[in-house]
Amino acid sequence: MTVHAPNRGGMPKRLLDNQFVGGLALFIVVILAWQLCSSLTFVIPAPVRTLEVLGANLTDASYIFDLRVTAQSVFQAFLIGTLLGGLIGLGLGLSERARLWFEPLLVILNGIPKIVLYPVLLPLFGLIGAKVAMGVLFALFPVLINVATGVREMPRVYWKLASAVQANPWQKLIYVILPAIRRPLLAGLRLAVSLSVVGVVLSEFFATRRGLGRVVLQSYNHGDYPVMVATVVLLIAVAFVISILLWRWEKRLR
Amino acid sequence: MKPSGIEMSEVSVRFDTPDGAVHAVESVTEHVPDGSFVSVVGPSGCGKSTLLAVISGLQRPSSGAVAIGGKTVTGPDPSIGVVFQEDSTLPWRTVEDNVRFAMQCNGVGKGEQRSRAREAIELVGLAGFENAYPTTLSGGMRQRVALARTLAVEPEVVLMDEPFAALDQQTRIFLGAEVRRIWERTGQTVVFVTHDLSEAILLSQQVWVMSYRPGRILEVVGVDLPAQRDPAIVSSHEFNELHNRIWSVLQAESMRGFQQQEAARA
Repeated sequence: MTVHAPNRGGMPKRLLDNQFVGGLALFIVVILAWQLCSSLTFVIPAPVRTLEVLGANLTDASYIFDLRVTAQSVFQAFLIGTLLGGLIGLGLGLSERARLWFEPLLVILNGIPKIVLYPVLLPLFGLIGAKVAMGVLFALFPVLINVATGVREMPRVYWKLASAVQANPWQKLIYVILPAIRRPLLAGLRLAVSLSVVGVVLSEFFATRRGLGRVVLQSYNHGDYPVMVATVVLLIAVAFVISILLWRWEKRLR
Repeated sequence: MKPSGIEMSEVSVRFDTPDGAVHAVESVTEHVPDGSFVSVVGPSGCGKSTLLAVISGLQRPSSGAVAIGGKTVTGPDPSIGVVFQEDSTLPWRTVEDNVRFAMQCNGVGKGEQRSRAREAIELVGLAGFENAYPTTLSGGMRQRVALARTLAVEPEVVLMDEPFAALDQQTRIFLGAEVRRIWERTGQTVVFVTHDLSEAILLSQQVWVMSYRPGRILEVVGVDLPAQRDPAIVSSHEFNELHNRIWSVLQAESMRGFQQQEAARA
């Protein structure tokens, strides 16, 4: 930004209006609160201790393997969920009839707690496939809903323009629809990233051989709270960083 | 003689609405001579935009046909350029990329796209704004971008659907003069839909007056004004006479349309 507010309050006022400074201040407050909580209960390790455990974990080959298993499942879930959600959303956005028929079904499906389907998915997709499928179910809806709404709310003149210049269906998609829905699409992707992590890790809590969800549950069973909290913090941190990056990209769009 | 210009024969468009059929366009048989500038005026709600949509190939007529240069219009074609009333610039593309959009879809080569885009941008007076985004431009400038995009394809026929309706009076007069100047240079056939009588007379060689539903061409008025026109001509005797003549037809029609709409609402 090149525009500066009149510098009436001097330097401190300018600093307080800076988002980065605000975010940093909030971060410090959270760390302090964490420190305080850790002195109240033995379940929560101190921030520094957590960081040490996290560092140790990340040099442990077995832990890295768990991390990779989870990351792979999340990535697959995100990819499939986004593609599937995007395609269905596109169909619902383009066809009024499809919307009419499928909207009630989708509202119901989106409304049910998806994790209750896990016992059904397990025998269907196996141990590895089921958690990806669960991640897909979680990631699917925000993309689907945002794409469908975005396509439906596209200015009508874009359609007229595309027809008048004889854009073929592919050109309509690449040159008009995708850029026109860029904002809701990216917002949907941002949600899909976090939700595919939720879907996969949640599944790993229930039944799986490897993965960070299993690490969390195992360390809980062993009362190894530092490892448990360090893993949870790692999951939060990764989802947080990806969300921030996507959010910044979203803000830079025209 | 080779058929030329735009030939409309018995063009009708009917829409089925919950309140019954609407005859937007009814048996229009008219000819737009090749290279001429024709304006269509009519009360709001008459089928002037629909008639334009039929010529552009975006709307199929319920019956009848339109031929351009002897070729029947069956759908959109690169030889037919359209400028819409709404802002149709794509906000994620720069001015130059907006102007290239139509050529891109028509498979014009990259180098050719670039040179023709630059030329069209120059023609509409936007030189220097090639890399600007539409959101940073005024409404009038965005309509120039849309015009440049249409002209860059080098269509035989340019159809304009109230392109300046959303703009302020000064911008409208100024852009109208620009359109007239560009038409004098390119010699394209132009059909210009507007609800502004002065604009229609000032720009065109012929003014068609359209009726409220069913939409028929009530009168074709030749504009006998000098080819070189500046906006000061609106205060001339000839201009006023034309204005009064068209207005007397239009006024009765507007009244009828207004009463029909009121009756439908009651």
